[in-house]
Amino acid sequence: MVWNVVSVTTNREVRMTENNKYWRGIEDQSNPELTEKLAQNEFSNEISSADFLGNDEVAESQTSRRDFLKFMGFSTAAATLAACEAPIVESIPYVVKPDSLTPGLPSYYATSMFDGMDYASILVKTREGRPIKVEPNTEAPFNGGTNARTQASVLSLYDGARLRNPKVGGEDASWGDALAAAKAVLTEKSVLLTSSVISPALKTAIVKLGLRHLSVDAVSASARLDVYEGFTGKRGLPTVDLDHATTVFAVGADFLGDWGGQNLMASYAERRKPGQGMLRHLQAEAGLSISGSNADVRVKARVSEYEAVLAHVYNKVAASAGLSKVSAPELREDIASSIDAAATELIKAGSGALVLNGLNTENAERLALAINLALGSKAFNTSKFVYTANGNDKAAAALVSDVAAGSVDTIVTLGVNPAYQMPSVDLSGVNVVAIADREDETAANAKVALPVSHYLESWSDFSAVDGHYAVGQPTISPLFDSKSAVEIVNALAGGSESAKALVEASAAANAGSTSWNALLHDGFASTEAAEVSMNGSMDASMIDVSGINVMKPQSGLEFYTYTKTGMGAGENANNPWTYELPDPITRLSWDNYITMSAADAVELGIEVAPESNGAMTGNTLNITVDGNTLENVPVWIQPGQTMGTLGLAVGFGRTAVGKVGNGIGVNANTLLPASAAVSTEVSASASEVEHGFASVQLAHTMMGRKIVNEISLPTFMNVSHEEWNEKPTFETHRGPLSAFEANLWDDHDHETSHMWNMSIDLNSCTGCGACVVACSLENNVPVVGKDEVRRHRDMHWLRIDRYYSSEMTAERAEEEGIGAIEKYAKMEVPSESPSVVFQPVMCQHCNHAPCETVCPVGATVHSREGLNHMAYNRCIGTRYCANNCPYKVRRFNWFNYKGNEKFADVNPSQDDYGRMVLNPDVTVRARGVIEKCSLCIQRIQLGKLEAKKDGRMLTDGEFTTACAQACGSNAIVFGDVNNPDSEVSHLKQQGRAYHLLEEVGTQPSVFYQTKVRNRA
Amino acid sequence: MYTTSKLKRFASLFAVIALMLFSSVAQAFEGDAKNGRKLFKQNCASCHKLDKKLVGPALTGVTDKYSEEWLLKWIRNNAELRASGDEDAIAIFEEYNGSVMSAFPALSDQDIFDILQYTIDGDPKPVVTTAGGGGGVAAAPAKDYSKEIVIGLGLLLFVMISLLARMKNTLRLVNGQDPVSILDEAGWFWGRLINNKGFVTVATIVVTIAFLNQLYWFMMGVGVEQNYQPEQPIAFSHALHAGENQIDCNYCHSSARHSKHSGIPSANVCMNCHMYVDGSEIKDDAGNLKYDGERSPEIAKIYAAIGWDADEREYIENYEQQPIKWVRIHNLPDLAYFNHSQHVNAGQLECQECHGPVETMEEMYQYSELTMGWCINCHRETEVQFEKNGYYQDFHEELTEKYHGEKITAEKIGGLECGKCHY
Repeated sequence: MVWNVVSVTTNREVRMTENNKYWRGIEDQSNPELTEKLAQNEFSNEISSADFLGNDEVAESQTSRRDFLKFMGFSTAAATLAACEAPIVESIPYVVKPDSLTPGLPSYYATSMFDGMDYASILVKTREGRPIKVEPNTEAPFNGGTNARTQASVLSLYDGARLRNPKVGGEDASWGDALAAAKAVLTEKSVLLTSSVISPALKTAIVKLGLRHLSVDAVSASARLDVYEGFTGKRGLPTVDLDHATTVFAVGADFLGDWGGQNLMASYAERRKPGQGMLRHLQAEAGLSISGSNADVRVKARVSEYEAVLAHVYNKVAASAGLSKVSAPELREDIASSIDAAATELIKAGSGALVLNGLNTENAERLALAINLALGSKAFNTSKFVYTANGNDKAAAALVSDVAAGSVDTIVTLGVNPAYQMPSVDLSGVNVVAIADREDETAANAKVALPVSHYLESWSDFSAVDGHYAVGQPTISPLFDSKSAVEIVNALAGGSESAKALVEASAAANAGSTSWNALLHDGFASTEAAEVSMNGSMDASMIDVSGINVMKPQSGLEFYTYTKTGMGAGENANNPWTYELPDPITRLSWDNYITMSAADAVELGIEVAPESNGAMTGNTLNITVDGNTLENVPVWIQPGQTMGTLGLAVGFGRTAVGKVGNGIGVNANTLLPASAAVSTEVSASASEVEHGFASVQLAHTMMGRKIVNEISLPTFMNVSHEEWNEKPTFETHRGPLSAFEANLWDDHDHETSHMWNMSIDLNSCTGCGACVVACSLENNVPVVGKDEVRRHRDMHWLRIDRYYSSEMTAERAEEEGIGAIEKYAKMEVPSESPSVVFQPVMCQHCNHAPCETVCPVGATVHSREGLNHMAYNRCIGTRYCANNCPYKVRRFNWFNYKGNEKFADVNPSQDDYGRMVLNPDVTVRARGVIEKCSLCIQRIQLGKLEAKKDGRMLTDGEFTTACAQACGSNAIVFGDVNNPDSEVSHLKQQGRAYHLLEEVGTQPSVFYQTKVRNRA
Repeated sequence: MYTTSKLKRFASLFAVIALMLFSSVAQAFEGDAKNGRKLFKQNCASCHKLDKKLVGPALTGVTDKYSEEWLLKWIRNNAELRASGDEDAIAIFEEYNGSVMSAFPALSDQDIFDILQYTIDGDPKPVVTTAGGGGGVAAAPAKDYSKEIVIGLGLLLFVMISLLARMKNTLRLVNGQDPVSILDEAGWFWGRLINNKGFVTVATIVVTIAFLNQLYWFMMGVGVEQNYQPEQPIAFSHALHAGENQIDCNYCHSSARHSKHSGIPSANVCMNCHMYVDGSEIKDDAGNLKYDGERSPEIAKIYAAIGWDADEREYIENYEQQPIKWVRIHNLPDLAYFNHSQHVNAGQLECQECHGPVETMEEMYQYSELTMGWCINCHRETEVQFEKNGYYQDFHEELTEKYHGEKITAEKIGGLECGKCHY
């Protein structure tokens, strides 16, 4: 046994050993019985308040209230002094320290992760052997960025609800016994059911196992895959290369969110830089998605109209290219002209055009493919496929009927949870062998449950896309008695090789000329891809869609499912960060709900309104879809939602995922299976039951103020920035002065040494929320749970405000002669088809900070490097600073989140395992203090120290904040403006740069770049 | 047990005397044992001891077994000697399972004679002073007699007061008055005092101030663990390692230059030396072998932790290693971030500036207060190490200009800002 760590029993650092015993103190280890006994007797005399107050002796007691207070005061003081005795802290070094590890310094490992939905090339930061942060592997050519789910996934490693050892029939068992029990029920009639498999090593093991194998995805692309499989024989989706696109038209495809397995953030942001040739983005969709929010033109289409929209565009393209048309149903009047205009734009863009389809039907995909081919789209790459979703719903449907017919005796599940996501499969009559990370809905009733390791503990490999091979390496020994997926499947097939040996063998065959060491060092290898054979003669048949039957648009209610940016398909369903992260669009956390247009809400009698404390509460809905009913489903009235469409996010409504996720939201798959794109057989009626939402934003519009400065591309190109980015001035006795010159205070010296500034490009920010989760991870931000978020006591240091446009503007009010009261009342109401803007707001690090002047104890003070410091141990919790902050970025610790039992289920720092994810360089804040963004001062200090130790000057970009690092679209740039060559000083000189609420004279160190939309 | 060790001691003493007599006859060369000891430590000690088999044989008495000429050849280049077919050389080689001894072509004849002289003379004996009843007294700290002195003075005072009282009573008797007991007189005096408002006021103020003063210092001392000296699982002496043996602090606390933690050395670092040094040669103040030539029980704790079989001289296979649970002495609160490398590497401070004269500490204790005031004071006074550090290349000039050539302390580059240590 090698002892792993070191050091102190504090909140910052947690002891850990490789044999996975964790104890809170040395007493715990040496005498567990005593600890147990003491824990039970901690409050030995429990007297209910009724008993206490009803006790006559107490009433007759000679102890007056005054005496009581005196005793209390004395005993409090005595207890305080007694507690001052320093405890004995042990410092336990390694017996044999690994050469590669220095206590106190992080080690990084390059690896990859794939959880059935997201594939990402990542760097894992470990401290004293514990993975504590996931960071993007920027050198990876494919999916080297992280999203909110990838960032949050590290906490799932420390999920106490994970399966700790194999189980047979619900009883603990050894691996040997469990594998024997599993093998005993495997016959020729058995089936292996998995999520998409992209691991060559796992595929080899599956072949060796020899069972009938089928894959299903929680977010299905099966029908779309069928199209490409039919043409090429490969079950993958074409890749998209936005570098070659000038106009993109997405129909129901949230390509910045969950579409297609490819992370397009970076290339999208790059192509959306304002200027000549800026990418034009058109979107037609039912519910407001992240992609739709970022679009220049958004058309509110119904899901059942998607095919008709595509057919309409195809016919216009076909007409210009001389191809035969497809018979397309008429479009609604509301959208016909917009779709016509979109088609015209696409034809004009020619090979720069790109059409993306998000509807999981063969027809829709064939139409999109045909349009792209007919236009000769250079951005639509049909010779390089991505395989992260390769499930087959037809095979799954066959399984359902086979199970019903009794021709299947055992189902082995891996990465899927059929009891939750496939309600149509009746598992009661078959043996289930669940290879699962927890006793979820499927594994809880399984005959054999085999614990699979988290990806940070596993050996694995990946062929996510043609020409790219990657290896996943463990960054920690398994916390529990679990094994890598590939090792388990291989063992079921009778093999005894270790996971490492299996992956190493697979790498030798798949990594091309890249050596094993290089693979582990870089995390990936670029390989020679076998060109996807697109038979030349196929093109014509692919373009010819004249024979297809386009779906008829329906009137009345229709229902579809979608994924939320935090939850995804539900891979991290017991991870509090995925719930606490507010949805970028609705700004609600800890829920899923039906999104509905305002008109439908009126019709169904649904209201959502704030209570007196600002918490949102609304009616619920009883809904029946295709004969499946859910009662009391919360409803959120969503601007931008197409009338008649009802959306519900998947991944919620778990019953056996763990204490965090159980019972939150409803399971959308009970209404509509993942394989179905849309249902028009919907009936709904309002229910009596009310539902409380955890909303973090009540003001939905900017009320005519310049909070997010937004202009059109022609204005940007043709008009001087002094006109569209006017700086506020003040009339003084010295003449008009800018907010930087009209001062009450002396300026700090910001010329010498560093001056840290941050630029946030509102044009690049897509609102995805990766930065929010990254910030929580880096800075030990507590999770407070739904009840507290409802009271607006969320603790996020960084929030992404979302604003809708309103029909009412100051100009219009003037034109129409509308009075001020009516004007502002109407301005509060978002438009039914709003433009959406996102604005990340963290502490602005004002150089004339209003918070600093009101702190009575000097707990928040200014640094000479342009930062606003917050000393938690000085803070006495008056909250004057929070009141005086114009940006409302200061968060108050209302509770002892790391100890109060109210937060035991949600806050990671309350859990012996969850605590291990805490960043040891950042204090865990106590109750009663204010906290806020520090611009990751721990990283700044470490970066400077590294330079000092090396005796060299700092280079720009050497270190950055957690949010900037996590940002896939490079919207956040951090650096030293005193370095004239730094990126951030160039950005500060740009005409688009402005400060938030510059007119209040706070002189922030954070500044924003004006948003430019590519429309007139 | 006792008798055995006593016998052993007697036997070894006898052997030494016998050897000395014998060797004085056999010796045919002149060597400087002092220089020899130095050379021995440098070249031979990793494989040889005087009195014990290590990797190679014990070397005491080697000059009796072999001729001077042969030893010269063997030590210079034993492989050559073996190749020439020398029977003795081959015999030794085989006896030690073919472990090859390094060649030392660089040693001069005189060097080798010096080493051989050392194998005869052995380690110098400590000078035993007979005065004062033992050698240890001089080194022992002076006893604190202040308590006894106070008690003595108190007694003297009491005697004098009673003498005075008796004398006064005698005088009263002589004058025909009744004698008064000392207690009555004291009561009368006390009554006068407490009826004096001025005195009571002054006394109250004095007592209050004294109390508050004490309370203040008590409260200020809460959490300050200066001189904290917990008992450690191994009686490790910094005075021996860092002081007498001059081992660089960074050899064991290697991460102090790189990391926030100075790091407590893992047992394998101890083993770098203690594979060969087992403490059996440690002598007590009187110059006797402290552990009767046995392995030091303290060093044996390292062996037990890591699983080293000191007799077989190999690591035990599949040994369940046990970490050594040191007691942490320097504890900073969680809310303060401290980084060793910042101070040791960038700030170029000596360890002793904060940790005190560690090289004289038999048992480690907390030398400094480790309070925030203590930190800040140092930041106010300590000059920044601009020289030869490229990081400051640009700032140095700017700062010199800004502060008009005053000395630039850590404070002036922001070393007192809250957020530099609290985040």
